Amino acid sequence: MIIRFIVFICGAVVMSFEILGSRVLAPNFGSSVFVWGSLISVFLAGLSAGYYLGGRLADINPSSRKLGLMLMVPGILFLTFPLYNAPIADWIFVKDLGVRSSPLLASAILFLTPSVFLGIVSPYTAKLMICSLRTSGKTIGTLYALSTFGSIMGTLVTSFYLITIAGVNALIMAQGLILILSALPLFFMNLYCKTETRS
Amino acid sequence: MIYKFLLALFCFVLFPFQGYALEPGEKLLYEKNSLYQYISVIDDTARKERYLRNQKRDYSQGGMSLTAPGKLLLEYTQMSFVSLAYLDREPKDVLFVGLGIGAMPRYFHRYYPEAHIDIVEIDADIMSAAKNYFYFKETANMKVHINDGRMFVKRTPKRYDMIFLDAYQNDDIPFHLTTVEFLREVKGKLKEDGVVAANILSSYRNKFFDSMVVTYKKVFPHLYIFAGQQSRNFIFIATAGKMKRSEESILEKARKIQTGKKFDIDLPKIASAYEYSTEYEWSSAKVLTDDFAPVNLYKYQKSDAR
Repeated sequence: MIIRFIVFICGAVVMSFEILGSRVLAPNFGSSVFVWGSLISVFLAGLSAGYYLGGRLADINPSSRKLGLMLMVPGILFLTFPLYNAPIADWIFVKDLGVRSSPLLASAILFLTPSVFLGIVSPYTAKLMICSLRTSGKTIGTLYALSTFGSIMGTLVTSFYLITIAGVNALIMAQGLILILSALPLFFMNLYCKTETRS
Repeated sequence: MIYKFLLALFCFVLFPFQGYALEPGEKLLYEKNSLYQYISVIDDTARKERYLRNQKRDYSQGGMSLTAPGKLLLEYTQMSFVSLAYLDREPKDVLFVGLGIGAMPRYFHRYYPEAHIDIVEIDADIMSAAKNYFYFKETANMKVHINDGRMFVKRTPKRYDMIFLDAYQNDDIPFHLTTVEFLREVKGKLKEDGVVAANILSSYRNKFFDSMVVTYKKVFPHLYIFAGQQSRNFIFIATAGKMKRSEESILEKARKIQTGKKFDIDLPKIASAYEYSTEYEWSSAKVLTDDFAPVNLYKYQKSDAR
């Protein structure tokens, strides 16, 4: 149950963060197609790297505790986002690498790492649930559905509602807090499985 | 945002052609899905007028009379020239953020051919439409820069006597062109005692309107508001100088400019709608910042400021 909840939350946070990302970039890089293109491609690059890594990591003794640790990374990055956001964006603005490279570099620095870690969650949790709870196809289907449903909710709630009630920095910090809080139970769950070690 | 992108794609697939049905007597001359918007150029054969429109038929981005293409057709474009009465000198350097059909810069260029006019427009297809259908031409003194408005303002080394803010995407101002930070950047590119004229399309009193007033007031010492009689446009005149201009002084200056320049618009009449912003300032309205600027949602929320 907790695992399913976490998959949903991560799906929601990814898309919510992506929408807020457009607001983070606009003051220094505008809202041209290059900005949108950079933002979307960096998130997709992060997620695909995360899926790949997540699959590899899931083959080495996956456990709920390790999952919790991995969620702490985007959690802490989000919680401290206002500390590094402005200095990095200003620095790239001053460097002025051009209309394409500037937003692409800013997106990569600000958004790539958290989206890699959020991408890890899907394959990692799938393997964890399959090998420890001995379920299979149904589990993977449910997790994918929950993750995407989370993304839909993250998109809608952020763009229709959250943007009117709080600032972008506060919202990103709140997401960090949510990630950290929902990862906490993982440390007490003791869900794990041993994978055969290759010799 | 992927959502926005998909929505755009969806619209593109469903309505590859006209965004809406034409009225009888209207003729479609041009349409294009540009990188940023759906653009159509439409002739109203009965009224002998030509419009540039996005999806919504009740908002024209620009309009031009076919019998008198040199005149300013839309009320707000005429109103914005009241800003001249707030400047104590001949304008030498002028910036327009948002080109549209180019009616305002073209008019400005006609009466002040010596002034250097920069125009920043994000959408190259808007510029083509303005050039091909609305008699807009670049000259040695009037140049279009294809760029994001905020980027141009941040990067330009130039200082301006006047800055016109008229950047719209459909009927919304992009959020990053509404914030305190942006207005400070704009103010930073004004020469001493420079003037900003902003077109604010809004119903009177909603959260967006209230926020725009307090945001401008946060940055500029003085704000004057001219309300459209036939449209829902407001022209905000924000001045960087310390001195407050009285209604009489503005009227007198408007008359002087009118006589000197022989405008075909009635500048003194426009100036007589003078209102100082005090009546519009509601302290509980929220100042928009880069961090917090829900402009497109605020438009649908009733004002609760008193």
